[in-house]
Amino acid sequence: MDLLRHLRYFLAVAEELHFGRAAARLHMSQPPLSQSIQRLERELGVRLLDRDARHVALTDAGRRILTEARGLLAGEDRLRALAERFRHGEAGSLRAGVPPDLGGRAVAALLPAFRRRSPVELKLREIGTAEQLRALADRSLDVGVLRFPFDVSWLSLGPVLTSPLGVLLPRDHPLTAAPDVRLADLNGLALVLFPRATAPALHDEVLTTCARHGYTPAEVHQAGNPEFALGLVLAGGAVALHDGVAPPADAVWRPLRGTPLLWRTSAAWPRGRQTPAVTAFADAVTEVLTAQGMRHAEGTLPRYPRPAAEYLS
Amino acid sequence: MTAARVRAAFTDAGVTGRLHAVDLDQPDREVSVGADDPVVLASVFKVPLVVSLHHSTHDLTRRITLGQDRSTGPTGVGGMLDPVTMSLRDLAYLAITVSDNAAADALMDLVGTDDVNRTLRDLHLTRTVVVHRARDFMRTMAEDAAPAELPAALTDPVVLSRLRALNPDHTNRGTARDLTTVLRHIWQHDDCAPIRHTMARQVWPHRLASGFPFDDVRVAGKTGTLPTIRNEVGVVEYPDGGRYAVAVFTRSASTAFTLPQADAVIGTAARLAVEHLR
Repeated sequence: MDLLRHLRYFLAVAEELHFGRAAARLHMSQPPLSQSIQRLERELGVRLLDRDARHVALTDAGRRILTEARGLLAGEDRLRALAERFRHGEAGSLRAGVPPDLGGRAVAALLPAFRRRSPVELKLREIGTAEQLRALADRSLDVGVLRFPFDVSWLSLGPVLTSPLGVLLPRDHPLTAAPDVRLADLNGLALVLFPRATAPALHDEVLTTCARHGYTPAEVHQAGNPEFALGLVLAGGAVALHDGVAPPADAVWRPLRGTPLLWRTSAAWPRGRQTPAVTAFADAVTEVLTAQGMRHAEGTLPRYPRPAAEYLS
Repeated sequence: MTAARVRAAFTDAGVTGRLHAVDLDQPDREVSVGADDPVVLASVFKVPLVVSLHHSTHDLTRRITLGQDRSTGPTGVGGMLDPVTMSLRDLAYLAITVSDNAAADALMDLVGTDDVNRTLRDLHLTRTVVVHRARDFMRTMAEDAAPAELPAALTDPVVLSRLRALNPDHTNRGTARDLTTVLRHIWQHDDCAPIRHTMARQVWPHRLASGFPFDDVRVAGKTGTLPTIRNEVGVVEYPDGGRYAVAVFTRSASTAFTLPQADAVIGTAARLAVEHLR
């Protein structure tokens, strides 16, 4: 039985002590109201009201139960109001993931940028793309900031922002003489890259792009820690990729000519689970990363799908 | 154990994948990785189509003409310029061996999606449904990508996230387990002998077959490809009589059209599963 509805009717009758007035207040007719009270009495197994032709009065049980009913109904009101606030994205918390290499300055800017847009509490976790995808899938994360590529088939995406990559070179390397470096000029140097297991698709994409532009490193060092990567560069014989935001002082950063390599980043959340707080977070991410120099993705390369693609002629 | 190795192989290749492998002669022996998850069939839909054709009353030697309004594609009649007259069985041969969209759609126009779905229901496959032809899901891709232009738009992850053709709810769909059931039917039923012969002549070497680089092992298969989607279903036959149906459905993280590792992992995953079954 819909106990709360019947209790609401009982409350009206108890306050009016008159079925006609109670029915009018509830915008219903009297017979269904009487039936409702009878059903409630049957459900609870006690008489709540004494009624004769002219009077309605609360029984002792009715008086005590009325007090409890008021508490329950007030609880229902609070519950519904709270749900309403969640529905409009004004309450609760938003669980968001950001990649470990986002940088302290970006994280510091993200919190106030979100707070300006949403009253919801923001709970940030620092986790990589693969782990964010798992957390979004098992609903332990509401929204993430993900580095491409990843399977987008079940996600909605915010604007895709790009940051062009350059290289870190030792101070005394001849390539530092020019304002930029061609990928093909790096032949003979080893490449320092993040461990393949942390993002296999991106790792392969970087190496494919290097090959496309004439650089096939003889050796790829997998470095998880930026300090270790820097060490390999400073030791000579290797270059590391870097987005040029606050490069380490010991090395020299040079952009790559033609910006062949880009990190692409966007906010992402499971499709159909966009709330105002998610929108506010995606907008805050765009604001912060744009201020940090990232740009909206633009332009595409010519693409020549091969016959094995089966679907494009 | 095997399932974990298959999953690790998918992850290492930058894809998420589903697989079902089953011993044709001992169907209780199987390997399953997400075998009951809904997947997009892409050109794998041509397999239930030709099964339905071979159970129909159509005379397979009858010749029909495909005019210039036929479906297009990079291979077979779909890539040709002039009208082509060909028998139904030769159209089936092109639809399977080179994934000819024009040939497949011409057959679909004859057989109809209702008959294909009836064939699937007769096999008690309720999660595999064919709702449209190759030209129809090609059209939805162009519509959903607009105003961006094909083919470049099909490497843009934002565009891909809105394509109905990549969503099992809105296109030809199935499960890995359902597709090995279709393969078992093909390998058991006399009507389907020509399909076994044709699938063994598929030209693509880069997916299922790449996992079995052994001259004495026969691989018969049918691929399916759409942006980020790479599939193949097929049967692997060893000279000792061992026969295994395998269905692999993958989605790549990268949106590049050319991803040799994502193609090859279909073969690697299939071999891991078949090794377990042997």
